[in-house]
Amino acid sequence: MFVLVVGGGKVGYYLTRELSESGHEVVLMEKDRGRADQIADEIGSIVVAKDGCEGSALADAGANRADVVAAVTGDDEDNLVICQMAKHHFAVPKTIARVNNPKNEPLFKHLGVDELISPTRMILGSIEQDIPVHELLHLAPLSHEFELVEAQLTAESPAVGRTLLQLELPAGCSVVAIVRDEVAQAVGPDTIFRAGDKVIATGRPECEPALHGTLIGALPGA
Amino acid sequence: MADKPIPLFSRVVVALNGGPCDERIVRLVVETARPTKAEVVAIHVVEIDWTLPLDANVADRSESAQRVLDIADAAAEHLHGKLEPVLIQARDVGAAIVDEAVERAADLLVVGLPYRKRFGGDFAIGRTVPYVLKNAPCAVWVVREPMPGEIHA
Repeated sequence: MFVLVVGGGKVGYYLTRELSESGHEVVLMEKDRGRADQIADEIGSIVVAKDGCEGSALADAGANRADVVAAVTGDDEDNLVICQMAKHHFAVPKTIARVNNPKNEPLFKHLGVDELISPTRMILGSIEQDIPVHELLHLAPLSHEFELVEAQLTAESPAVGRTLLQLELPAGCSVVAIVRDEVAQAVGPDTIFRAGDKVIATGRPECEPALHGTLIGALPGA
Repeated sequence: MADKPIPLFSRVVVALNGGPCDERIVRLVVETARPTKAEVVAIHVVEIDWTLPLDANVADRSESAQRVLDIADAAAEHLHGKLEPVLIQARDVGAAIVDEAVERAADLLVVGLPYRKRFGGDFAIGRTVPYVLKNAPCAVWVVREPMPGEIHA
């Protein structure tokens, strides 16, 4: 697989190194000549010292035959431009963007970036897992339309004591599993939810308030 | 009993770029290698840009590249010497030369330094020679192209 990585920061550097060591053909684009030379000294002559935001530079780096373009600069706008050019000008099958500001995620999705990696959201998610919150926890985006979420049930949750069949899930939402006593289990129609269960569900983002109400309870102010 | 000559090197990688330096390099190396029967490997690197896969069939360029090696081979034969011609496709000439030297455990690497006649004339040091000097695992000889008007053998 030929992977074009744009952005020679820490993420781009380690990504390139790992891919190269795994036997993939990989090229890294870094616009800062000094940084590009430094990386080339360390990982070899697979660095193109050009700005990946420029179409001609992407062409020089082989975007026309790339299987994947990963835009991992520290700048969301740059990453968006790179992925859009890769997708629409070079017909790259898969584009991956690093999104630093989670508020930019909808825009990236709307403009057709195939996969978003948001370190900020990942850290947020990790923090949320360790503190008792009565919110839906976002685990991962599924395609462009669905989210995988987790709801931790408490004794007050309306779902407790009821079966999956008895729950009136919002349209477009479904429960895929529960984690009970640290063990993931499939959910059948007769599974009775208990306090302490972590319910893993999928649904469209706009259904989240209703899903929250069914599993955890109505949102404050709802 | 006559002393055996102490070999300067036992295996030399000679990088040829198809320029006017090539013949001078081949002559220098072959004549130096002959008394000790040192092994001479002549390489010519065809740089493949990232728009093509590394193993792309670049027949037109391969032909001219092969000609570079053929000329070197003929020059060596003319001096009753021998060399092993090797054609390499790589992303970067400097890295390919160094890799070849490492792979063959060469104890000498020889590269040419072309002279630029335009823009007032100067030695075009470029990227390759500094890279080789910095990264070669062995001794490096840089053979400069004769300057205009220079008397040379």
